[in-house]
Parts: sequence; structure tokens; C-alpha cells
Amino acid sequence: MKKRIMSFILAGIMVISTAACGNKPAAEPTGTGVPDQTQPVTQDTYEGDGTEIEGGSSEELVDGKFTETRHITVEVYDRGNDGGSDPTNNMYTDYIKKGMLADHNVEVEFVAVPRWTEVDEINNLLAAGTAPDICLTYSYPTIQTYADMGGVIDLQNLVVDNKNDLPHLWDWLGTTNMYWDKSVTDGTLWALEGKRANNNRIVTFVRKDWLDKLELAEPTTTEEFYNMLVAFKDNAATLLGGDADKMVPFSCSVDVGWRAALLIESKMDPNISDKEFYVNGFDDRKLTENGTKEAIKILNQWYNEGLMWDEFVLHDGDTVEDDNMKAGYVGAFMHNWDYPFRGGEDSIQANLKRLVGDDAKYVAVDCFEASNGEYIKYCDSTAGDRKIFFPTTNDEPLASLLYLDWISDPVHIEYLQCGDEGVTHTKNADGSYSFMAATGEAIMNSGQNIDMTITCNGLHLSTDELTSKSLNNNYPPCDPEDVDKANKVANSGKRPTKNSKITSIEAETGMGEALNAKRNIIYDTCMSCKPEEFDAKWDELMADYLTAGGQAIIDERTSAWEALYGDKVTLE
Amino acid sequence: MIKVETKDNTNKSGIMRYIKRYWQLYVLLLVPLVYFAVFKYSPMYYVLIAFKKYSIVQSVSEMPWAKNHGFEYFIKAFQNKDFIYALRNTIFLNLLDIIVGFPVPIIFALLLNELRLKFFKKTVQTIAYMPHFLSWVIIYGLALQLFTPSSGLINMVIQKMGFEPIHFLEDGSNWVKTYIGLGIWQSFGWNSIIYLAAISGISPELYEAASVDGATRWQKMWHITLPGIRPTIVVLLILALGNVLGSNFDRPFALQNNLVMQNAEVISTFVYKYGIKALQFSLTTAVGLFQSIVNVIFLLLANWFSRKMGERGIM
Repeated sequence: MKKRIMSFILAGIMVISTAACGNKPAAEPTGTGVPDQTQPVTQDTYEGDGTEIEGGSSEELVDGKFTETRHITVEVYDRGNDGGSDPTNNMYTDYIKKGMLADHNVEVEFVAVPRWTEVDEINNLLAAGTAPDICLTYSYPTIQTYADMGGVIDLQNLVVDNKNDLPHLWDWLGTTNMYWDKSVTDGTLWALEGKRANNNRIVTFVRKDWLDKLELAEPTTTEEFYNMLVAFKDNAATLLGGDADKMVPFSCSVDVGWRAALLIESKMDPNISDKEFYVNGFDDRKLTENGTKEAIKILNQWYNEGLMWDEFVLHDGDTVEDDNMKAGYVGAFMHNWDYPFRGGEDSIQANLKRLVGDDAKYVAVDCFEASNGEYIKYCDSTAGDRKIFFPTTNDEPLASLLYLDWISDPVHIEYLQCGDEGVTHTKNADGSYSFMAATGEAIMNSGQNIDMTITCNGLHLSTDELTSKSLNNNYPPCDPEDVDKANKVANSGKRPTKNSKITSIEAETGMGEALNAKRNIIYDTCMSCKPEEFDAKWDELMADYLTAGGQAIIDERTSAWEALYGDKVTLE
Repeated sequence: MIKVETKDNTNKSGIMRYIKRYWQLYVLLLVPLVYFAVFKYSPMYYVLIAFKKYSIVQSVSEMPWAKNHGFEYFIKAFQNKDFIYALRNTIFLNLLDIIVGFPVPIIFALLLNELRLKFFKKTVQTIAYMPHFLSWVIIYGLALQLFTPSSGLINMVIQKMGFEPIHFLEDGSNWVKTYIGLGIWQSFGWNSIIYLAAISGISPELYEAASVDGATRWQKMWHITLPGIRPTIVVLLILALGNVLGSNFDRPFALQNNLVMQNAEVISTFVYKYGIKALQFSLTTAVGLFQSIVNVIFLLLANWFSRKMGERGIM
């Protein structure tokens, strides 16, 4: 009898579970939350900066507040820092949650997305229909791909219709960043561009104490830089003693296009036209620019002379390279302008001081001159950083926009970046902030808390002077003067990207990852191959890159440019 | 047929009795059947994605058919040089694995079987199959410690002896050797277990009779042990051949780097790169389907061949 009952129960469970599986609906276009898009596209509202845009306000709001509490989810990067705070629940998220509830009656919930695999992760969330209401990514093609599939909300009417409820957002982003991604052809706006308060890019760092020991001046040209590397190598025993065989005069990772960018860009034609810059601009590592081959050939020479790290390709994604810098084996490298200062006590600079000696430090130098003698730093415009978009699963587009408005309020930005006095900063006599290492909940998981201020990347305080003074104090325990120097080098000769207004290139859809992987293979292979194989390898791999989709993108970009601007090769 | 009709009545009551007696067992059998239906068979419906233009918001039946009678993505795949490389590498690496790696566990099992000291035998066996439990990420970590050109242990020894370091991991052909070698190291102990089991099933009388006839140990191994495990070898060989176009993901993915991609990109990593990272779901479903079909063909061919050779096969 018992057996029978058991069998019935088992059979019953089976029937129920299969029925449950069968009932699960396939992904269907539900259209929930998609704003009414029947209104005609108002092309004439788009004029670029300086044009007043007539906006409306929502009737759903009373004194800026919803009458009923709304709930939104917001993506936040999880950087997995050792000893960081919980990215979804810390002093700053509490500040936002309380503020949003008080000011707009909106409940905010944060959803952590791993920073270093963010594109994969957001893809998975979008594909599963469980993406947060407010998503951000550095990858516009990802947004474009999902928009093409109908998975992203068109923001163009939303931001205009609710303009009066979004004063801070419009003020801070301006039309440049609000409309950066607006399509010229159909007016769609899939994403808002977070604004860079600081568009510093890459700087070259060299070991100041090594220069002093060898009585060398800071290099000011590519040749001097090379001579310096040779001097480091030749004097390895003096500089490193028993660890001489561990010396890496110039360190570079698998991402050669980034980590040797200043050298690569110095070989570009300094008089490059906007058109040519745009056409080749799809690869942010400058692979198809006119001087890149020459630059990589120089790297190849350095590599084969033993001036570079021979294990770079095996350490993709681990910390060995940073550890080499911290341990004092690395003579020079190129990286984000504040890279050695990042991370407080665990920063490269702080570790170097602790492990090697008080005088050991990296300083910024400016030494890669273009053919016209200028030290050009191609950099981004204020747009082009993180892109914020709402997937169609977002039922609260207005509440989500109010969120963006709230975190764009300068008062709120200042608090999120500076925290509480005595906890994260002290005030100096001149009013500037000195930042201090925080503990527990007050730890910022990202520099200047950019993960919290998704519309703002970089320190942005009430005045520019306060910002720059405070910026140098922003990297304790690193010397503010070193930071200031890096900042000045990064700022000299800046050339920001202009907006071509061409947003969609079909040949680029879905190709980004594959082409980036190929580009890195080209750089890595050609940098480390034997000198006599260089030309053949470069030509073979470049041909493959171009046939695999690179040429199609170049052609489409060229014709898109010509369709929009005709014979003009310069943007205003 | 006629026989059944004449015995219809008795048969019917027989079936009824049978069902009455054993129906609980069939209900229990439902569990694995449902598992296969839900998790193995119903997902097969989605191979249709290979023939359709993928959209995230539409169900498979709503997606429009791809161009060229639905074969657009198969054509695209074969026009893609990377896919051809991946296909070539998959076959090449898997065949090498079979040619070099397949005999190793057999030889190991035969050798182990000859050992008389039980404790030593067990210890060797345990040590040999331990690596099977290491993930490929760990193995890559070990490989880095051993094989990197300037800080790897093996290369440090080589350099101390006055030779140039060997680029085990960054040179295409060396990488293939390292890949195959690590694969054998990781799996031969584990794979030998099934042969050892087969060997223990051979009747000891055969060995005793051979001893009486004055056979040497070598002759016993060659004429008794090896033929005794031949059916097992054939079955495993068929399964291995059936997987010649299959590829596991973690082994090549963990070991590959940018300098060896021309030798190291296999179908599974290609699918990951193009499908999951670059969102070309239709293309990569087509590739996956192609891979499965070729695998089935290989399996059937190997099976047919083994039957021709007088072995039992697996189907």
C-alpha cells in the first residue's frame, strides 16, 4: 500500500512539473513599459549645443514626487575589490536611497554587475529579461544590438517631454551628452552619455629614482625614451642587484593598443582630417591609422632587444604585471593618467615606496612627439564614456529619469564623491578637500566613486579650481605633486574627439568583440615576432582583419560620412 | 504476426497481469524519461535558431527565416576564415589526442597489471588519476609556474644549463605539444580505470593454463590480457572517434593565448567568442548544429567499421 501511495505521489509530481514547464511562455514582445512612440519624430528639436529645447513636464508628479511609491532597479558595478564595501549597500547607496525616496517617492534597489565582465553580464541579463531598469555599459554596440532587437527604450521623447522635471540632468549633460547618440536618420535615442568631468587619458610613467641613480634627465623624445630603456637594461645589476634578471625596462600587457597608445598615436599624421579620423575611429586602439605599423615595428625592435616583458601574453587578466611594478622591477609603462596612484595604500606608488624605498616612485613624462613636434593626446570628448540606457523591461522610465536627474545634482555629486568630513575627507584652509582612506561602509569601490555617479566620471565640485586642487589630494598616500604632474602631462596637447553624428554603422553590429580580439592578436603577434618576420606577419594578419569585417566597416563609414557631409572632411 | 493473433487472448491477459504487477516500476521509469524529454529533447526545438534571424524579443516560431532557404548562417560560417581555422584545429587537436593519447591509458593499465606489490600498485594508480580532478584553470596556473620563458621552473633549469628558454606556451607548434601533453597527463590515470576493470574480468584460468604451457609474462600480456580487453578498447575508440569534432571548452580556453590563436582556436571557443560575446546567436547555433551532425556521422561510421571488423560496437 505504501508503495502505491509513493508511486502516486511521484507520478503526480511528474505531471505537475511537466505541466509547469509546458506553461512557461516563450519570450514574447510584451511591449510593457515602452513609451508611446506614435508621435512623429521631431527632427527640428535637434540642433546641437546652445539651442533651447522646449520641454514639458509630467502630470504624474506632484511637487516632483510620485503620489504612490515607485520602485526601480539600478545597475552598479561590482569591482570585487579586496576589502571594498558592498557595492549594493553602503554609505553612498543609503544616501541615494533616502534622497530618492524623500525627493521623488521612488524606492531604489541596486543590482551588482561584475565590472570586468560587464558586457557579457549585461548581455546575459538582457537576454534573460532580468536586466536592471537603469543599465549602463561602456559598449554602445551592445546597446545598438539590443535596440535593433527591440530590447531598448527610445529616450528621445521621454527626455524632452519631461524636461522641466529633469533640470540637473539637462544642466550637467547638456545637449552634447544628451543627444550624442541621437540618430540623425530616424531621431532615435537609445542611450544617454555619462559625462566625463575629466577626459584625461594616458600618460607615460618612468622610475624617477632610476633616472636619478643613472644621472639621466627625464626623456622628452621617443629617442631619449629608448636610450633610457637601454640604460635601464644595461645597468640592471646596479638598479636591482640580485633581481637584475627580473628587470622589465618597458612593461606592456596584451592590450598593446592601450598600453603603447602614446607611441602609436605619435606616428599618426598630426594633420589627419576629421573624416579620416572618423573612418578609422571604430577601433579605439588605432589599428588602421596610417602610422600604426611603423609604431609597432619600433615596439618589435624594443621587444627583440629585450627591453620589454617577454611574458606579457601569458598574463592576460591577472595581476602579475602590476605586481612587477609594485615590486620595483618595471622601469617605464604607459597607462591611465592616474594608474599608479589608484588604490590608496595598495596603489603601485605606495607599494613601491614601502617595498623599495622612500625615493622610489613613478613620475609622468611627456616624450612621444608627433612628426610636427607636438605632443598630441587624442582624447575623448566629454561624451563617449559610460552609456546609460533603459531596457524595455523597464516599467518606470520616468522614475528612472528622475534618478538620473537626482544623481546629476551638483550637491549630490559632491557628497557622493567627497563623503563625510572626518570619515572620507578633511577640509583644507583653501577650502579644497583632502581625501583620506576610508573604512567599512564609507569605502568607495571606484575612484571618485564613479560607480555611484553614473552620469559623471571624474571629480566634479562646485568650482573648477576647487576640483583641481582637490583632485591632487585625491590619492592618499601618494604625493599630490606627482598627481598634479601626471594631470598636467595628460592635459597638454589634448585633442578631443568630435561628434560625427553618425550613430549606426551596420557593419559594426556584432563585430566589435571579434575584431577587437583579432586586433589584439595582431598587436601581440607583431610586437613579439622576430624582426625579419614582422612585415609578412603584419601584412597577413591585417589582410585577415580587413576581410573579416574591418574593410566593410571602413567602407560603410566612408559612405556614411559622404552621405552626410559630401566632400567636406572637417567638422565644425 | 499470425502467431500473435492466435495467442491474442492469452497474451492480453498476460500483459494485463504484467502491468498490474510491475506498473510501479514504469512510474519510476517516468522520472528519467521526463528528465530526458525536458532537458535533452525539448531544447532541441531551439536548433531552429540556426535557420532563423535571431531576435531577442521573439519566440523561435515568430523569428523570420534566414536567407538562402534558411541556410544563410551555414554559408556565412563556411565563408568565415576563423571558423575554418577552428574546424581545422578541432579536428587536428582531437585526432592528435586520439593518436597520441588513446594508447597511453591502455599501456598504463597493462603495466600496472603486471605489478605484484599491491600497495605500490594502488599508490601509483591513485597518484595517476588525481589530476583528473583538477580544473583546467588550475592546470593552466601550474603550467605557468613551470613553462613561462623567464620565470617558469623548467625554463629556469634549461637556462641554468646554458640553453635558450623554450616557449612552451607562446609558440604555435610547442603549444600544441604542451596542450596534448597536459591533456594526457590529466586524463590517462582516470581513463585507465576502465581498462583495469576489464582486465580483472579476465578469467585467471587462462593465465594458469598459459603458465602450464610455459608462456612468458610478455606472451601472457600479448595473447591473453590484450585480447581480453579488446572489446573495451573498441568501444572507447568508437566513442573517442565520435567526438572528433566535439571539443570541450575549458581546456583550450584556459590554455590559449593571443600568440597561438591560429593553432588554439577550436569550435567551442569560436562559438563562445562569436555567439556569447559578439551576440551572433544564429551563426553559432548553426556551427553547433553542424558540429553535432558531423559527430553523429563519425560515430555511426566508427560503429559500422567496428562491426565490419567483427567487434560488437555500441549500437
